[in-house]
Amino acid sequence: MRLMLVALLALGGLSLAQASLEFSELYSKTTIRGVEFSPKLQALNGKSVQMIGWMAPPLKPKLDFFVLTKAPMATCPFCSSAADWPPDIVLVILPPGRTADPTTQRIRVVGRLEVGIKTDQDTGFVSLVRIYADRIEKAQ
Amino acid sequence: MTRRITAVFALASLLGSAWAAKIAIYPYDGASLLAGQRFDLRIEATELKGNLKDYRITLDGKPLEGLEQTSQGVGQAEWTLRATSLRAGSHALTVSLADEAGEAKKEVRWEARLNPRLPKAARNVILFIGDGMGWNTLNAARIIAKGFNPENGVPRGNLAMETGYGGMATVTNSSFDSFIVDSANSASSIMTGQKVQVNALNVYPSNLKDTLAYPRIETLGELLKRVRGASLGVVTTTFGTDATPAALNAHTRRRGDYQAIADMYFGKGGFGIPLDVMLFGGSRDFIPQSAPGSRRKDGTDWISEAQRLGYTFASTRSELLAAKPAGKLFGLFHIDNFPSYLDRAVWRRPEMLGSFTDMPYLWEMTQKAVEALSQNPNGFFLMVEGGMVDKYQHPLDWTRGLWDVLELDRAVQWAKDYAAQHPDTLVIVTADHAHSISVYGGYDYSKRGREGVGVYQEAKFPTYGDKVDANGLPLPETARGIAVGFAATPDYCETYRGREVYKDPTISDGKGGYVANPEVCKEPGAFPRTGNLDPGTAQGVHTADPMPLFAFGAGSQLFSGLIDQTEIFFRMAQALGFNPYLERP
Repeated sequence: MRLMLVALLALGGLSLAQASLEFSELYSKTTIRGVEFSPKLQALNGKSVQMIGWMAPPLKPKLDFFVLTKAPMATCPFCSSAADWPPDIVLVILPPGRTADPTTQRIRVVGRLEVGIKTDQDTGFVSLVRIYADRIEKAQ
Repeated sequence: MTRRITAVFALASLLGSAWAAKIAIYPYDGASLLAGQRFDLRIEATELKGNLKDYRITLDGKPLEGLEQTSQGVGQAEWTLRATSLRAGSHALTVSLADEAGEAKKEVRWEARLNPRLPKAARNVILFIGDGMGWNTLNAARIIAKGFNPENGVPRGNLAMETGYGGMATVTNSSFDSFIVDSANSASSIMTGQKVQVNALNVYPSNLKDTLAYPRIETLGELLKRVRGASLGVVTTTFGTDATPAALNAHTRRRGDYQAIADMYFGKGGFGIPLDVMLFGGSRDFIPQSAPGSRRKDGTDWISEAQRLGYTFASTRSELLAAKPAGKLFGLFHIDNFPSYLDRAVWRRPEMLGSFTDMPYLWEMTQKAVEALSQNPNGFFLMVEGGMVDKYQHPLDWTRGLWDVLELDRAVQWAKDYAAQHPDTLVIVTADHAHSISVYGGYDYSKRGREGVGVYQEAKFPTYGDKVDANGLPLPETARGIAVGFAATPDYCETYRGREVYKDPTISDGKGGYVANPEVCKEPGAFPRTGNLDPGTAQGVHTADPMPLFAFGAGSQLFSGLIDQTEIFFRMAQALGFNPYLERP
């Protein structure tokens, strides 16, 4: 319990400067009964984070949301009904009225983290982790 | 119900087809079925001009009773007869109809086959499907597993599946709507004897909107359970609701109806015939939507529901091996596809395994499945799929794909031994389609890029097997390997090597096309190759190449020559001495 508090305090302090979140830190484990959100992910829920990854193959030329993956991917996570996408993907939602251009480069996404099951009304896509992006830039 | 048409047929033929309504009939013209095999008969009239004035539908000259008439829209009319079947012999279904433009007529012919009861008929069938395991894939796997005596070039032997068979055939295939197949319609052809549309499972075409309402065709598994009371099982290394395992008892136009397929496994939907043994990955289609990672859109929890229905449940190798199932067994060992054999047995990289470190081998699942199914004195039908053989050839990762053939071969060895002790068992090993893979030389791993390729005498002999894993299978790391290529590719970077952490060969260019994965192109010796598939293709594809078939045990001699895939269904039924028309339950 005490350790948990220390961790939360540390993360709280980091949030001002966007806590850095790795793909490997999203889930504590994945079992046949589903994925378990990691304590770090849960602690960062609602806070500002930054993640580095690749933009999954986009659905349309101008994007108001896209999927961020840990490795470059060929399959579009929800274009094809038979696609098998990795469980560790993050849905990135752009601010209303803003769009992004598709890119094959490694990108950094900064924004507010949201954790929990959510179904997109338009596409039916179910996401577990989302970032409401403030900023998207090329990563080194 | 039926009415006689009064107009003159000659008029219709004079007017020609441009005026006449179009008529489609399923089963299609020339279809062969087993006498007593159930199917949904469907007739669809389109391009009707004005009102449908009259129609007449006859089977072998007699009006067909019990048809339900519907209309999907203006100018359309349909007639459906669910769960019907034919007695043995030749049949003709004739449809004539009249609209404002005149008359239209169509006749189709069907053959309902009858099998004699054999004195030594098979009672059980174990059907192995190496997904995407064409002749060339199998050949490459044999070279890795067995190789050659470097002193004289004499081959060191064959795979278990290529040894001691009672029948061997080369199999060709095609779809209802294309000469290339996908795994869904291909497995459907093996299970029903019918040609089926790409991406469809055990259904005829139709103009229906509901993919689950398409005209069903009873599979051999469903027939055996309905008529003989046999048990049904499926084992695979892919996610459980994937196309090949789904061909056992699922009926849908769209192989992506995963939730519905999961439900059909438990007898909800389709012909309502549940499976008794299921061992595979893909738990995401069996856990409620409230569980993060679930692909379901409802709250059904098949893990707890299955246990209530009397299935023994296992989620790890340890649990599976300790299980003492009473007939019904349900095992989910991964949330998605199994990692490849090399990932599970040799490389064991955390990036590839995650939390799934206690997973059964295909041969262990096969054995446990038979242990559960063979408790039924009425026999069993078990499908065992080496599913990742295909899933790794698609992204040109031949290393992972070929070692999964070796895992499948170990399972076949076990089944052959079982059949030897249980002579009423037929074992079949085949594929559903091929990939464009070819071994064209040797590769010297001390070199990089094209410099390492040796052809003709410079190919020398592969040294696989100098080091083996805990299961006795060769390690991929060796001095001299094979140079392997695919005839049909997207843009990608060639390295000639496998890699312990998987990488997609292509990534999206963001404009609907794909480019070689820059992360692969950075690897030592890598060089770009321009693809020859259309630019919207991200992976290698299925081919029209032929496939192997080996048969062991009761009735195995029935499998020989060059046969179409649909014939596998009829010969399995023949080996079983199976006559569903006469063997009424």
